[in-house]
Amino acid sequence: MWTFIIRRLLQSAIVIVGVTLISFTALQIGGDPTYLYVSERASDAEIAETRVRLGFDKPLYVQYLTYAERLAHADFGESLTHKRPAIEVVLEALPATIELTVFSMIIAIGLAIPFGIFAALHRGTALDGGIMTLAMLGQSIPNFWLGIMMMLFFGLNLRWLPISGHVPFLMPLVQGHFVQAIVSLPQAIYFLIMPGIAVGFYSLSRNARLVRSSMLEVLGQDYVRTARSKGISETAVVIHHALRNAWLPIVTMIGLEFGFLLGGVVVVEMVFSWPGIGRLVFNAINQRDIPVVQASVIILALVFIVLNLIIDIIYARIDPRVKL
Amino acid sequence: MKKLVHTLLAASAAVILPLAPALAAPASDTIVIGMSTDSSTFDPPQITSRDNSNIADHIFGRLYDVTAEGKIVPQLAESYTVSDDGLAYTFKMKDGLTCEDGEALTAEDVAYSFNRAADKKNGFTGSTPGFIFSAIQFKSAEVVDKLDVKINIGTKTPIAIGLLTEVFLHCKDSYEKMSLETAASKPVASGAYKLVKWDRGSQIVLERIKPDGGTFKNIIWRIIPEASTRSAELIAGNVDVVTNVAPDQIDTVNKSGTAKVKSVQGTRRMYVGFNLRKDFASTPGGAAIQKADVRKALQYAVDVPSICTQLLNFECTRATGLVNPPNDNKSLTPYPFDPAMAEKLLDQAGYPRGKDGVRFEIKMQAPRGRYLNDANVALAVGQFLTDVGVKTTVETLDWTSLYTPLVRKHDAGPLFFLGSGGALWSAIYDMTDLAEVDSGTNYTSWNDPDFFGGWKDIQNAKTPKEQEDVVNRMLKVFYEKGPWLLMYFQPDFYGVSNRVDFQPRRDERLHVFDTNLTK
Repeated sequence: MWTFIIRRLLQSAIVIVGVTLISFTALQIGGDPTYLYVSERASDAEIAETRVRLGFDKPLYVQYLTYAERLAHADFGESLTHKRPAIEVVLEALPATIELTVFSMIIAIGLAIPFGIFAALHRGTALDGGIMTLAMLGQSIPNFWLGIMMMLFFGLNLRWLPISGHVPFLMPLVQGHFVQAIVSLPQAIYFLIMPGIAVGFYSLSRNARLVRSSMLEVLGQDYVRTARSKGISETAVVIHHALRNAWLPIVTMIGLEFGFLLGGVVVVEMVFSWPGIGRLVFNAINQRDIPVVQASVIILALVFIVLNLIIDIIYARIDPRVKL
Repeated sequence: MKKLVHTLLAASAAVILPLAPALAAPASDTIVIGMSTDSSTFDPPQITSRDNSNIADHIFGRLYDVTAEGKIVPQLAESYTVSDDGLAYTFKMKDGLTCEDGEALTAEDVAYSFNRAADKKNGFTGSTPGFIFSAIQFKSAEVVDKLDVKINIGTKTPIAIGLLTEVFLHCKDSYEKMSLETAASKPVASGAYKLVKWDRGSQIVLERIKPDGGTFKNIIWRIIPEASTRSAELIAGNVDVVTNVAPDQIDTVNKSGTAKVKSVQGTRRMYVGFNLRKDFASTPGGAAIQKADVRKALQYAVDVPSICTQLLNFECTRATGLVNPPNDNKSLTPYPFDPAMAEKLLDQAGYPRGKDGVRFEIKMQAPRGRYLNDANVALAVGQFLTDVGVKTTVETLDWTSLYTPLVRKHDAGPLFFLGSGGALWSAIYDMTDLAEVDSGTNYTSWNDPDFFGGWKDIQNAKTPKEQEDVVNRMLKVFYEKGPWLLMYFQPDFYGVSNRVDFQPRRDERLHVFDTNLTK
């Protein structure tokens, strides 16, 4: 087990180096970023001085090596627009995105499993057809459009849900303000409902179809028939025999899902004014705030790598046939 | 089916409503403003953007203020005098001023505010050290006595007083104790409101600390980046004022019954520049626009009012120069849309249509997404020019990565679409884009001696009237031979809830000191 973890960590380090290299190069080839940090009326001398001060005059490989060296000391540089350490800016935005991602994941996984099982158990019926049609629709609708439609219907017409905004839950929790976090939880959920559905609806639809097909495959197996012939209740057959064996592809899916949802929040965060990392990256790219973009990409890559590692370990625990 | 939908809605409501607080309009002592970007800092010398500055205007006081009409009026100072050589401004502060923490605000604090902003050790890069101080060549600020402070500058300029009004003041004792990081996030107010909460990316909450400082006790600035979301919040009554309503949403807001869009002609001057740099003359189009007659002919070719109506959803008056009304030259009339006149003048200038109907070809570059509907405006201008035989190829470019470096290096062109921020308080401020032939902002490399010679006359003018005459003379030259194809002053669209009587200003300042609830 430990050999596997160490091997995976080494692989992760290579991935991180790759991520820093790609993000650094991609941003630099867009042009000279110096002009973003001087006023419209700056003289040539001021522009040149700023270029030197920010290190944009140096060759790209020198800029990258300097950056990598700082990175090794957990120094992501200072945000060029926020005038604060980039990592601080990113970590400040991360909890809001995690709240949104986890909530949408609960929707995407938590609803997909019962829907998928239900559709599989009623294969060929109108209900199965209805659920699968809805799933197809969910995979066809862009999340930002769904967001805007929900905003207009539930926010503007019915006035049931807030149109935009965010009530923090995770941040006070991390800061140790437990009472504040608990008190704000209902409000936090209230503000999460629409963006959560907008982010998670595509995954919910895809997962429901996956669970259905996985269950259908398992339900046709001999051991399920044997279980039924023993007179075990249908619920016990489904939960203990079928679902347990259909679980492996679902666990794999959960691991990939988090990364997918993290990447899918950018537009939804913009639409719902959600102060998360997606919106931060979007603005940072527009303002060419290089340190923030790089810090965000690396933090997200780290989150993704750690989650995949955890999923691999869980995978082995669920299915002893899988050797790490 | 209908029953199922109702059942689903009822079930959703049963789940959601217990979580929901009452979705109500803001309280009567609170005004909520929706804007697209968050502030990056509240340390005065670091502030750069207008949105950031608009909030800071409510937190920090300044020596003088600029009214909505462009008049410079006292704020924390009560008067000022200028030395004979024009290099020292002495301000007399009002007595009895205090900061948020109770510290008295005197001449010492004013001097500290200026000198702290200029101190290179602090590494400030905001508008005060980056633009204002370089424009006036700020030297130092010194205390004369308790209420008098002298600001020393390195160049005599009639716009110094206007620029000095931009500098935010703060108290010395509190800021001396603060780290730069604390100063950026926990300002100590010298103005009418104090910062009570800053949920980064979400909202900024201000609370009134001076009873006569403003109508509303609380001002909430909500950060709503997406224009359609801002409009929805406005229509729902959750926000009282929103900035930058997208032109395509104006009708929706106006028909909502809960809010209206108020448009105002801004001070940003939009123009198509003729890049007259010699190396551009190597192309036929670049060579043609070197002639003032050709430039004048092209003024008649573009239907600017139609561009405003069709593409900006705004009725505009075409600009006659680079100065904002009411400081412009009143004797000049906007060039009319007269393609026949354009063709006649082009013929006379020696550019008749060829067999293919083309007089000459030219390239126009334009930004994408920087100004209101910029790419489409540029394409429309290109088509108007093509219609009179000047075959124009329009190239639209990303603003930050491609267009800005081109313009800054004076490499955009031969034609380029651009906007330049202006002001209402001085004609000369608007003209400083062309303060010298070598100015960084003379993106067209225009060098007409009749215009640039006027700057010396402005310096030597004895009276405001004399100065105005020189300005008008220069503007006439600009109108006749200038390097700009004159367009419009970019409109700004504000969504205003029926709940408040907010009046937008032309200079992009968003002040709610005098805004009231509607009766």
